[in-house]
Amino acid sequence: MKRIRRTIGIAAIASLLLLAGCGGGSNTASSGGGSSSGNSGGSSSAGKTMFLGMVNPPIIFNPINSTDVASQFAEKFMFDTFLEMEGPLKFVPKLAESFETSDNQTFTIKINKDAKWSDGKPVTAEDAAFTFKLIANPKVETTVGSYLSMFDGLENTGKLKEGQTELSAVKVIDEKTIQFKTKAPVDPNMVKEQLGTKLMILPKHALENVDPAALSQNPFMQKPTVTNGPFKFVQYKKDQYIEYEKNPDYYLGAPELDKLFIKVLPAPNLVAQLQTGEVHMNVASGIGKIPPQDYETVKKFENVRTKDEPQFGFQTMMFNTEKLPDPKVRQAIAYALDRPQIVDKLLKGYGEVVDGPYTSINPYLDKSLEKYSYNVEKAKQLLQEAGWDFNRELNFVVPLGNKVREQSADILTQNLQAIGLKVKVTTYDFPTVMQKAKAGEFELLLMGLTFTLDPEVSSLYSSIGTFNFMKYKNPKVDELLLKGKAEPNSDKRKEIYNELQKIWNQDVPLITLYSDNEFSAISKQVANGEPKVFGFHNHLEKWSVGGAQ
Amino acid sequence: MFPYIIRRLLIAIPVLLGVTVFSFLIVNLAPGNPVEMFVNPDISQADIELKKEALGLNDPIYVQYFRWLGNLVQGDFGFSYSTYEPVLSMVAQRIGPTLLLMGTALIVAYLFAIPIGVLSATRQYSWLDYLSTSASFLGISIPHFFLGLGFIYIFAVQLHVLPTGGMNTLGSDEGFADTFKHLILPALVLAAGIAGRMVRYVRSSMLDILGQDYLRTARSKGLREFFVINKHAFRNALIPIITVIGIDVSVLIGGAVVTEQIFQWPGLGQLTIQSIGSRDYPTLMAINFLAAIAVLTSNLLADIFYSVADPRIKYD
Repeated sequence: MKRIRRTIGIAAIASLLLLAGCGGGSNTASSGGGSSSGNSGGSSSAGKTMFLGMVNPPIIFNPINSTDVASQFAEKFMFDTFLEMEGPLKFVPKLAESFETSDNQTFTIKINKDAKWSDGKPVTAEDAAFTFKLIANPKVETTVGSYLSMFDGLENTGKLKEGQTELSAVKVIDEKTIQFKTKAPVDPNMVKEQLGTKLMILPKHALENVDPAALSQNPFMQKPTVTNGPFKFVQYKKDQYIEYEKNPDYYLGAPELDKLFIKVLPAPNLVAQLQTGEVHMNVASGIGKIPPQDYETVKKFENVRTKDEPQFGFQTMMFNTEKLPDPKVRQAIAYALDRPQIVDKLLKGYGEVVDGPYTSINPYLDKSLEKYSYNVEKAKQLLQEAGWDFNRELNFVVPLGNKVREQSADILTQNLQAIGLKVKVTTYDFPTVMQKAKAGEFELLLMGLTFTLDPEVSSLYSSIGTFNFMKYKNPKVDELLLKGKAEPNSDKRKEIYNELQKIWNQDVPLITLYSDNEFSAISKQVANGEPKVFGFHNHLEKWSVGGAQ
Repeated sequence: MFPYIIRRLLIAIPVLLGVTVFSFLIVNLAPGNPVEMFVNPDISQADIELKKEALGLNDPIYVQYFRWLGNLVQGDFGFSYSTYEPVLSMVAQRIGPTLLLMGTALIVAYLFAIPIGVLSATRQYSWLDYLSTSASFLGISIPHFFLGLGFIYIFAVQLHVLPTGGMNTLGSDEGFADTFKHLILPALVLAAGIAGRMVRYVRSSMLDILGQDYLRTARSKGLREFFVINKHAFRNALIPIITVIGIDVSVLIGGAVVTEQIFQWPGLGQLTIQSIGSRDYPTLMAINFLAAIAVLTSNLLADIFYSVADPRIKYD
């Protein structure tokens, strides 16, 4: 009896070990253990493979329904946009040979005659029309509906009216030419930026039989099988890496690289892997950022070169204007904040103080506008004038996840206390912050935003804007925002947006704090290609890595 | 014993059901929801509303719960609210790596901790005892992330002998040797904590037993010290240790979350963090459900091993 018990015991333990072993065994088997070339650590990954490092994991590869920047970024390696923006409002052709309008209302896109899908079928105007129609279909889940909102015959939401199925604004002229019409003349730059550089089209022949309501769940959206960009999708090991292989039939020429990997890894590991050579470079767009506090360290690595450049995302402190209705109070706070200190100390000078929603690289920034300089006396004086009750406590909501922003909250809190304000800081994870923001459960709130370069920022300042957490209502602003969006002439637009910047500067529904530079590090092994704020995905086919260092 | 096991399994059903109700409530009551956190200013409110409706988020919470439960009964865990992938396949991909990591950590930890604990107890107040108790104290108190980052710095960045993270070298072979190399650091980090705790349990459990009369009897019968310790004492010391092993499984799930984050180990822990961050209800529910099953199973196994180790314990 005793022996039997012991045998059971041993068998049980052995089976436990086996179970643990099996888990690993099956996994390595499924990931296709093949040859044993014995490459250690990836540091000698010579040949034609490049490794990029990204901090945020991409979620889904659905070009018309991606909610996060990382997914959109990753999609652009396999799906081409019509145009690419190489510099502020400087557009160059990509999938579109031309993107033109003569009256700012009817736009004609000619698709590159050589462009093909990876299965050999040509990319046609039908594909573009199919994609537009899907986006406008009220049953289709999409995140790019607002790009179509100016289309003739569509609701302001970018959707077809109830019961309609035909998208009259869009016309297929011939196999490679498509035309669409907007409700009224618009600034071509706005259309080019939104529809041109952000929208990716879907292959009609692969998806036309899918039920539009179930499009999001279609496996194509997790593992695209037919693409038109320089790289083809191989696999996505969730939250680990995306593997691409070259598309030898790419219409702009076969890529130099055979394979490309985007690794997903936390920022400290990104820095470590840049040093060990396991990644060749980080990606741009704020999703593969080297933390500012590590940038000096990375600069000293011998195997990489570094660069930093201004970008158009920025951080703000939003005011709940319903709880702080007096502009004088908000102005006082704006004067009280020592924003230059954040740039000097936290960003170590790699960034800028921003006034208003446009950073220094935006052509629509009104540089003549008077800025809120750091002025404690003026702040105190304004509070006195406003008759502020100094016993009142302000609820200051800070989102977790961005180290610099978290640290900036400490400086900002001290600044506010210095003018006699009582502040209660609470930090939450991002979903909680969004709920507090929408419900207006805050007086002060930190949030980062990245818009298009186009000055259209209704979603932030319009009284019905999705991101108007400030509950800011100014009829004049609403009117000007509509006027600005509808104005086709860019000089006239500039006047409108200058006027808006003046009003926002007076009303201060939010105070913009700082914009941190994009920091990049590129391995010296890389012969061609680097992270950029503009035109990152332009000429990916020319990217290459050299042999030995 | 078998009727007992059957009874335990039957009791597990209402317990699991209770767990799902509570976790569904907690997951849903957490502020924020899957569609309200889009930061892309290009997304229109209309598109957000449409998504909300499509995901059934506008229904009352009990309707959502019964829909989820109804699907579960049919073996359907639903699809992820952020990736639209079937939850089951997402979770299935993650279980292997997590089991490999946890299993290795457990084995490594016990292989070291049990003999050290026994030695430490039999040679109380020797230099070995002091060394092992201080080392175990260190193992318990060093946070995983700190130890992990330290290891990465020493072994990957400075010495270049081990990779900084991930499970395979990209673009090269993905054989077992490669996975093993990636496994060493995270497994050691996890093992350090478990081993630290284990040494202390084994030591104190052994010390309790070593003072017992029956050991003196055994010795006086002329039994060799080796047998006294390993057969009589250790076996009795095992009983409380088995309880600890049972608890370790649930502790490990928590510890693995941090370790998997640091080393980008593609297991359940990493998936949990991602799903919490995006309020991906169906994925979170599936993970909770599996964790509950794991804990219930490990407790049941511990009870069974009890009776194996101590014949006085009988289940009827």
